[in-house]
Amino acid sequence: MRSFKHWSGIIALVLVLSMLLTACTPQAAPTAAAEGEPTAKPEPTAEPTKEAEPEAEPTAAEPVEKVLRINEGSYPDIIDPQRSSYVGEIGHLQLIYEGLTTFDTDLETVPGAAESWEYNDDATELTFTLREGLQYSDGSPLNAMRFKFSIMRNIDPNTAGEYSYITDYILGAAEWRSSDPTDAAAYDAAKAVVDGNVQAYKMDGTTVCDSYDDTDCRILTVKLGQPTPYMHTVLGIWVAYPAKEENITEGGENWWNSSVWQIGNGPFILKTLEPFVRARFVPNPNYHGEKAKVDIEYSYIIDSAISFQAYLNDEFDIVGLASEDLQTVESDPELSEQMLIYPQACTFALQFNLTKEPFNDPSVRKAFSMALDRDAYAQDVLAGLGTGTLTWIPEGIPGANEAEDRWAFDPEAAKAELANSVYGSVEGLPLITATFGDSPRNRVRWEWMADNFKKNLGVEIELNPIDPTTFTSLTKDTSTMPQMILLGWCSDYPDPQNWLSVYWSSSSEFAKSVAYANPELDALLAQADVELDPDARLKMYEDAQDMLIEELPAVMFYNRVNSFLVKPWVTGIETTPQDGVFPGQYAANLIDIDTSLLP
Amino acid sequence: MTLRFIARRALWTIPVLILIAVVTFVLMHLAPGGPWDKDPGKRNVDAITLKNLERLYGLDKPAWRQFTAYMIGDFDHEGEWKFGAIGGNLGPSYRQRGMTVQDILFKAPAGKPFTESRFGYSVRLGVLALFLAMIVGIPSGVIAALKQNTWIDYLVTLITNIGVSVPNFVMGIFLVILFAVQLKLVPVAPRTWTDPRVWVIPSFVLAFGTMAYTARLMRSSMLEVMRQDYVRTARAKGLSETRVVTIHMLKNALIPVVTILGPALAGLLVGSFVIESMFAFPGIGREFVQSISNRDYSMIMGTTLIYAVLIVAANLSVDVVYGLLDPRIKIK
Amino acid sequence: MSTVDYAVTELSAEEQILARPVRSLWTDAMARLKRNHLAIVGLIMILFFLVISFAAPLIAPHPPLKVYRGMSQLPPVFAKVSESGVKADPRFFFGTDSIGRDVLSRVIYGGRASMLVGIIPVTVILIIGTTIGLISGYAGGWVDNLLMRLTDVVYAFPDLLFYILLMITLRETYFGRMLGGMLLLFLALAVVSWVGVARLVRSEVLAIKEKGFIEAARSVGASNSRIILRHILPNTLSPLIVWAAFSIPRMIIVEAVLGYIGIGLRLETNDNAFFISSWGGLMSTGQASITSQPWVLLTPSICVALVVLSFTFIGDGLRDAFDPRMR
Repeated sequence: MRSFKHWSGIIALVLVLSMLLTACTPQAAPTAAAEGEPTAKPEPTAEPTKEAEPEAEPTAAEPVEKVLRINEGSYPDIIDPQRSSYVGEIGHLQLIYEGLTTFDTDLETVPGAAESWEYNDDATELTFTLREGLQYSDGSPLNAMRFKFSIMRNIDPNTAGEYSYITDYILGAAEWRSSDPTDAAAYDAAKAVVDGNVQAYKMDGTTVCDSYDDTDCRILTVKLGQPTPYMHTVLGIWVAYPAKEENITEGGENWWNSSVWQIGNGPFILKTLEPFVRARFVPNPNYHGEKAKVDIEYSYIIDSAISFQAYLNDEFDIVGLASEDLQTVESDPELSEQMLIYPQACTFALQFNLTKEPFNDPSVRKAFSMALDRDAYAQDVLAGLGTGTLTWIPEGIPGANEAEDRWAFDPEAAKAELANSVYGSVEGLPLITATFGDSPRNRVRWEWMADNFKKNLGVEIELNPIDPTTFTSLTKDTSTMPQMILLGWCSDYPDPQNWLSVYWSSSSEFAKSVAYANPELDALLAQADVELDPDARLKMYEDAQDMLIEELPAVMFYNRVNSFLVKPWVTGIETTPQDGVFPGQYAANLIDIDTSLLP
Repeated sequence: MTLRFIARRALWTIPVLILIAVVTFVLMHLAPGGPWDKDPGKRNVDAITLKNLERLYGLDKPAWRQFTAYMIGDFDHEGEWKFGAIGGNLGPSYRQRGMTVQDILFKAPAGKPFTESRFGYSVRLGVLALFLAMIVGIPSGVIAALKQNTWIDYLVTLITNIGVSVPNFVMGIFLVILFAVQLKLVPVAPRTWTDPRVWVIPSFVLAFGTMAYTARLMRSSMLEVMRQDYVRTARAKGLSETRVVTIHMLKNALIPVVTILGPALAGLLVGSFVIESMFAFPGIGREFVQSISNRDYSMIMGTTLIYAVLIVAANLSVDVVYGLLDPRIKIK
Repeated sequence: MSTVDYAVTELSAEEQILARPVRSLWTDAMARLKRNHLAIVGLIMILFFLVISFAAPLIAPHPPLKVYRGMSQLPPVFAKVSESGVKADPRFFFGTDSIGRDVLSRVIYGGRASMLVGIIPVTVILIIGTTIGLISGYAGGWVDNLLMRLTDVVYAFPDLLFYILLMITLRETYFGRMLGGMLLLFLALAVVSWVGVARLVRSEVLAIKEKGFIEAARSVGASNSRIILRHILPNTLSPLIVWAAFSIPRMIIVEAVLGYIGIGLRLETNDNAFFISSWGGLMSTGQASITSQPWVLLTPSICVALVVLSFTFIGDGLRDAFDPRMR
């Protein structure tokens, strides 16, 4: 017995025996497996519509249909632009729609539906000019009023989307959002304010538009509550995608669950949507930019072991690569060529409730940082699918400081630092409990960390696995925030403001939950947020991060990587650190399939 | 008599359901966390949005009113009367926003028959699995009993032991490696459920536990029956062996198997969680498991009530069949 | 094999009755159990697992929580080289897991939680369920009605849903933390499952009640408790034993599934703690790495299968031993 093939041989033998037993009985199953032909080809289905099965298309005359088959993972809870928040949900919306701005593969904000934008002098008013002749995939015109509707819908308290706060920079948005719709007068008044501050104009810049069919309506102005020089980036994310008002009304509350109502302006059209089974996207001929070259098919298989087997069987072109399968892939000369591993804009850190002993003492936090063997973790637990980090903003996002070397792994220095703390030594420390959402993977992580701190610092950590939802609810408030947790943060949009001000300024939900407040940092961030000069602004954020690391409210731990397997015939993939569903999702229209390499 | 019996049992279902609803409601609201505590890696829903969501879903009302609203009905946030569970409305899902629980579970995509709904898929898979379990389990149990302590008996024992000791999530991957990867009979990842062949592995995985249990139960029940006086008498009368086995033994030995049929079907209908995440099967099993960790309150209530109705109906039909099979048991 | 052929056994059994004084049901059963070789093998196997898991600190070659740096994903010794080309190390007989812990030691320690999760709730369920089923079936009338209506309520609860709900709700309470969550798990398993036993016993009792030998016992003035214990209980044993032999692995697997969902037993990080891992937990961790490290999954799976097989042998032996017609 050498390898898995042999192991599986034994298992197979046992199973074959069980199948023999089955065969003894007159009729095993209405769909006996033995009748199938010993090929991987699915039988042509009886359906009149031609299902797109590239390997089932035997004809040589017609050009082979190009379908990029991707395992997306779990089926989204919702695919509504103004109500979505998950990576998988956004992975669907991004193909169907395009925002006013969009991101290029360097994550720079570039023109999307808007050909240009400009701020007034103090960055309190933002004006977009839309491209000429924009169309939805069904040929109907797309004008500035559509975007106004989306932005308004995102703010409306009746929508109650989980990212509705992100447009609070708009003057009056927070007030409307907090108004009570049952109090009609207050609600209408607050709505009217926002209505005046988000306005669609004809090209003359003064006439307010009144029709979705008006192709001359290409100016959108947004008045902001304070200088917000990054607002054009914020309005490029999914919350401002222009879903059609009439479709939302007609389709009812679950309009998003049908391809009939999902009419967008993105590079792809959602052609069919079979919930929990698959979704099919085809190129949008009316897209203003470079037309997509392939169909995309999402499947929703959650189990990573099955997904990996299906990839090996040529049933998927792109799947996520789990760390458990990495060794197998790396040792196979052919498979290792198909590995695509690149940084992901997510940072994980050991976070502490700063009101609880012993982590209210900075020396203890620093000692823990210096006792954490990040390289060993990256190797043992992440199996190479991640790298240790000593800083907060990850590589690929402006403001990242790759040269950071404070509080790096050094067990001796860690013990010395602990001696500096008010506890004096390991014996003086109170009981330390690490809390985490229980799952097989998290158990392995924390069992490793408990071992690490025992070995490198001599500290015994008690592990407290709890139900994941309970865990999330505990992390909401300082009074319930556990002593020690592992938490990550991923980019909403590629800007240091999203990493520092949104997370560590004392007014943010997160900083409040761990009771972190540094007035000096707050002042610097507030200043950076409204700074108009990009270079000066970036410098301020870099200084802020420097200040953050010196104080070390959390032990910076590791950055995750994106890891995928991609078949050799898939070409034109341009990766970004923000990819979540498949590599190249920020430029999916560039992806092609080289049919000459198809098996 | 039987009709009156059925009617009385059906009426009794009502207090059972109310009791179950109360217990579920209390337990789920005691559980820490709420429907919007999702992924810890994600930012928490901000206070204003949270308030808006609670108002939209009526979570700002007192608990007793939430309960009566769910069961009987209440005025929604726009002041309109909406019926609750008694009107067939199992409430809006907190997680899959915009969909009601009954839509999620029972509504087929536009233009498709009911069998294409999530419940329809689960019924098809569950019935197929039960059929498989019976058609393999019963004969294997009978043969094992008739050939007690021969190699056939040992083989059945061995396989049934594997059946109960291997969890679904392990059995699934084994069968995939064997049938899809090694033998290439079926695709690993089904692309469409219209192809009958892709149903084979999922139904087998689902059926295996029940199949093993049926075989064991049947074997032991047969051994029991074989020792009964009337079987000896029948043999002594010189009846043919086939006749003894089929008429005298099988009919009696089947009784315990019939008892488990109903609950087994109910279990198979909702027990497809693992199969759904492995094969992208659009059934209802995941709602049963995930609704609790999602704190999707109306989904928890809805699935519990639906399961309860299924079980009650299954037991009722078992009792009726039981009475038919074994005339000694009188239905009161 | 004591029971080679059915007819022969029958004869010899009759001879035995004639040949020797009537012993009590239990001593007689034990005597017959001893002659059932397979059952003895099963018993020895169970004892073996109990002993090694409870004496784990003496037997396990490595501390179960110790991470050996750079030794992760080693294959078992007998596999020599894993598919990805990693060589086995003789110190780790069944290889190491994904972060370099000894699989054999973890499996040995895991036996504690799994054996207990299998045995204790099943025993409790059997006692409660059988008592209620016997009373209900034998007494009949309003007692039966009341008890059966109660079982209706419990029965109609979806069991997995109920486990999860109960575990999540009570997990963070004092009770939920006792014995690393074991008590709560026992409670959750028992609350749902006694109903099945009660109904099974009741239906058996109903079927037996009408039979001749019960009438006979009653006519000679036997007391109710004597009828129940001497005549009815032994007759209900055979389906109960089958049920128990099946429920023990089911409990072990339910524990695995709960761990998979994220509400399993609490684990401890102290090498001296009692419950460090469970077979179910090891299986759910191993499933994800089936392609590259099948041994992490297979070792605990084989243990579970062996325990199940043993319980089946014991169950069969017990059933035969208690069967009144085989005396």
